[in-house]
Amino acid sequence: MSASDRDKRRLIFAMGGGGFTMEPTNPLLDDYVLTLAAAKEPRILFLPTASGDTTTQINAFYARFGGRACIPRYVSLFRLGEEERPLEEIVLEQDIVYVGGGSMRNLLAIWRAHKLDEILLEAWRKGTVLAGISAGAMCWFEGGVTCSSGAPEPLEGLGLLEGSFTVHADGEPERLPVWLSSLRSGELPGGWAADDGVGLLFNAGTLERVVSSRPGAGAQRVDAIAGELVRHRLEPDLLGGAPSTFGAVLDDDVRELRRVQRLRREMTGESHRFEDV
Amino acid sequence: MRTRTPQIVALGGGGFSMEKDSTLLDDYILALTKARRPRVCFLPTASGDADHYVVRFYRRFSAGCEASHISMFRRDQGGRGVEDDLASHLLGQDLIYVGGGNVVSMLGVWRAHGLDRVLREAWQRGIVLCGPSAGSLCWFSEALSAFHGPPRRVGGLGLLPYSNCVHYDAEPARRAEYHTLVREGMRAGYAADDGVALHFKGTKLDRVVSSRERGGAFHVRRSAGQVRETALEVSYLGERAAKSKHAVRTSATAKQPGRSAARAVVLA
Repeated sequence: MSASDRDKRRLIFAMGGGGFTMEPTNPLLDDYVLTLAAAKEPRILFLPTASGDTTTQINAFYARFGGRACIPRYVSLFRLGEEERPLEEIVLEQDIVYVGGGSMRNLLAIWRAHKLDEILLEAWRKGTVLAGISAGAMCWFEGGVTCSSGAPEPLEGLGLLEGSFTVHADGEPERLPVWLSSLRSGELPGGWAADDGVGLLFNAGTLERVVSSRPGAGAQRVDAIAGELVRHRLEPDLLGGAPSTFGAVLDDDVRELRRVQRLRREMTGESHRFEDV
Repeated sequence: MRTRTPQIVALGGGGFSMEKDSTLLDDYILALTKARRPRVCFLPTASGDADHYVVRFYRRFSAGCEASHISMFRRDQGGRGVEDDLASHLLGQDLIYVGGGNVVSMLGVWRAHGLDRVLREAWQRGIVLCGPSAGSLCWFSEALSAFHGPPRRVGGLGLLPYSNCVHYDAEPARRAEYHTLVREGMRAGYAADDGVALHFKGTKLDRVVSSRERGGAFHVRRSAGQVRETALEVSYLGERAAKSKHAVRTSATAKQPGRSAARAVVLA
């Protein structure tokens, strides 16, 4: 790919879970994020806003990216006196903006209060790669499923990408039935559900690739068509080489188990109270 | 229900988070509740619910009060009906103590969860509201916030129809910045040094108290194109501390937060 092709790309990498906060010993997704920037040594900005800028997340970010070919930094929207320059200036000079997980409702409210939503849109249009996990992934879509106020509920996002996105499809299964019923009711548009360890790469609004840091993890596209949910499973490319045979065997078992669990949840999902799941 | 006067104590800085060795301001605020064992809820939103801040709150207040806190970032860890709990928990308090940090981020989060409305109702019901720094700025119509770039005007909840400036003595440029904003049209208001508390009854400034002998507070307004700053009378709380019926133990003797003391609406 030529440099000019790269320049035209509008990338968003949305992870269902994983990366440095969830996979401290597995760098596959984060290494993949770095390859998405055209720069050899990309400037990567971490926004831990959704967590309330916890030191834990910030430390994990530096532990992962500190020793890699990149220029890492973070911006806090809570701590005072660390930075004199305006937000806009800092964000617009980045090659990658990486958004951490936490409360999606708080994330969006805080960004809007600082007008960071507008700055990020401008950065994306100028070619900055936007990446994130969990709340930091759902925020780019028209909507997601958040637990920001307790029980899972649909929430509108920034709408840079068409469709909805739900995360931790395997790790936090209580979100999935809420997402599906929101699709059925029309509260959320059709979209994608991603397991932990799975990332979806969008270029200019179109899904281009699905990758995974773990064997057995996957994603699905679901649309409500005439009141019926139509589901397609998406097979991710496993990052970091082929899985071992052992992994592949386990993979099928796990997949089968998850499929059964999902079916069970769907059958009873509508009447379920989520604390029971 | 008996009617109580709405009260706000706006700290230019100070209280448990900034004054390890002085409980003067916190004692003064607790006494306003007239409760033998006040129910005090801490909102650390402006700090991003920083753990160390929450711990310091319990160190100061758990001995003499029914202390609790609400984390707006960990609501997913709570039980059911949290939305209702938030309002009813806050409206059941004698004192709501708002921590410092970034006022813009805090107001964004509050509004997203409807806390702005709850706090207004709490104030109207006579629940004492207080806080330093961002926990002061938030109650006013306008405030000066210095964060990421030059200081600017930010809108607050507007319970007090004035502007506000905190840390007036601690940051050398603050005074000039505040004067510039008032000259340019920001409404008249109050500035307070670290350790100084502006005590409002209703929307009227009732008293100014300080934990420091030299603490200052000022009324700043524009008059005929000029900014006029008037020094306010400040009462030093020092000598009177021993008489306070509601003195809480100092941090050295206060208990660590126990299970019951650390009760939060959302178990954070």
